[in-house]
Amino acid sequence: MNGVVRVRPGIYGRGWNEVLPVLPPNLEKMIAGLPDHILARLEEIRLRRDRPLVVGAGGQDFFLRSDGQSGSVPDNAYLTSGEDLERVIHNISGSSFYALEEELRNGYITLPGGHRVGLTGKAVLEDGRVKTLKYLSGLNIRISREIKGAAAALLPRLLDQAADNIHHTVVFSPPCCGKTTLLRDLVRLASNGVPQLNYPGRTVGLVDERSEIAGCYRGVPQMDVGVRTDVLDGCPKAQGMMMLLRSMSPDIIVTDEIGKMEDISALEEVFNAGVRIIVTIHASSLRELNNRPALKYLLQLNIIQRFVLLGRSRGVGTVEKIIYGHEATPRR
Amino acid sequence: MFKLMGALMLVSASGYAGWHVSRSYARRPVELRQFITALQMLETEITYAATPLPDALAGIAERVDTRVSSFFDHAAKELKTARGTSAREAWSAALHRYRAGSTLDRGDLGILNSLGHNLGISDRDDQAKHLRLTLEQLKMAQARAEETAAKNVKLWNYVGLLGGLIIVLALY
Repeated sequence: MNGVVRVRPGIYGRGWNEVLPVLPPNLEKMIAGLPDHILARLEEIRLRRDRPLVVGAGGQDFFLRSDGQSGSVPDNAYLTSGEDLERVIHNISGSSFYALEEELRNGYITLPGGHRVGLTGKAVLEDGRVKTLKYLSGLNIRISREIKGAAAALLPRLLDQAADNIHHTVVFSPPCCGKTTLLRDLVRLASNGVPQLNYPGRTVGLVDERSEIAGCYRGVPQMDVGVRTDVLDGCPKAQGMMMLLRSMSPDIIVTDEIGKMEDISALEEVFNAGVRIIVTIHASSLRELNNRPALKYLLQLNIIQRFVLLGRSRGVGTVEKIIYGHEATPRR
Repeated sequence: MFKLMGALMLVSASGYAGWHVSRSYARRPVELRQFITALQMLETEITYAATPLPDALAGIAERVDTRVSSFFDHAAKELKTARGTSAREAWSAALHRYRAGSTLDRGDLGILNSLGHNLGISDRDDQAKHLRLTLEQLKMAQARAEETAAKNVKLWNYVGLLGGLIIVLALY
């Protein structure tokens, strides 16, 4: 079954405006000077120490030159200096590198507006675990796009009219196909409700381990995730689902990128409590899901009623297929 | 009569000059002590609460004596308002403004300035180390300043007054 949800380029937010303040003036000028059609589709700004400055827009890379021009080859491109990186870190942290310890351990920082900055450098280990990063050498500023309505066309297929709720749903796709964007909008709709569909809206508990769905800044969602949504930010999924289940009496529990056995065990508890789930998984086909022991177990539970496969065949976020639960059960 | 008035003016002027010099000797250890207290607060803010620098500096400005407070207040404002200012720049700008009316000597200012080079750019443990080093250096400077003050405060008071008297006697 082919779906119709597709992300149109015209509805990207002006998120790039919100990340400019973290850039030093010279970089800010170069980026603000890009042609509108690139800016409108700006996805990421990559700063690598002593290497060309690259911006990603609409799946393509553009190398920036100091005269404000851009091209698809790195010749004459502006080389990001160590000082540029330092300035960005200063701006992000309020000149307080030490206040970022937790973020450095995770490898990213969330900015106001829900945009996120990925970091690389030299890892400092303590007892075999990453304690912090030093000598930061690469930054990737990812502009988060909130696309309201991305899941509007999909929602009717996921509604369980009998229970006035959402079916247990798994959204899966290869990377960069718009899972998180779709999930975010699904959360918003599931939480707000859709009167046209006679769906009143339900209490949603969102475990946002990587702060990607709600884009929390200091615990407060920066994206619209709906009026009945409680967000547990930065919390490990399995623990977070249990916490929400016990404390917030949700009707739907949402989390992304499940895959470990402990996640599945937590999901079982959620099923047993009669709470619906919406989760995402990195995989390009049902067969691939079946090859991973934890996920195979999930399929064998025979509880998931909708599998949504996303792709890029007609742009990022195309719903390639919706598979109903009974079609997906693996042979034992 | 005029002679007497002139003599009086000479003695008081010279006495005032002596007192002025002695006061700067007396004030230096006090200023150093205030900086030590403030930096101890900063260490607590950074190591225990990981408070971002602008907030930490502003908080300290509210809790310390006026003169040192103006320094921290200025540094905090510099960090908050000027986008892209590093902690080092804000710190040294604040220090530059502070030094005008201060009794700290070059060595003391050097100690504070070198702290600015490391402020905010490393993890908590490292920040604590730098702050502790600075505190040790300031404490040593304070001990020395107190010694010098003990020697010089009285000396300069007398030098001022007696110097005035000697000139008066010589001219009389």
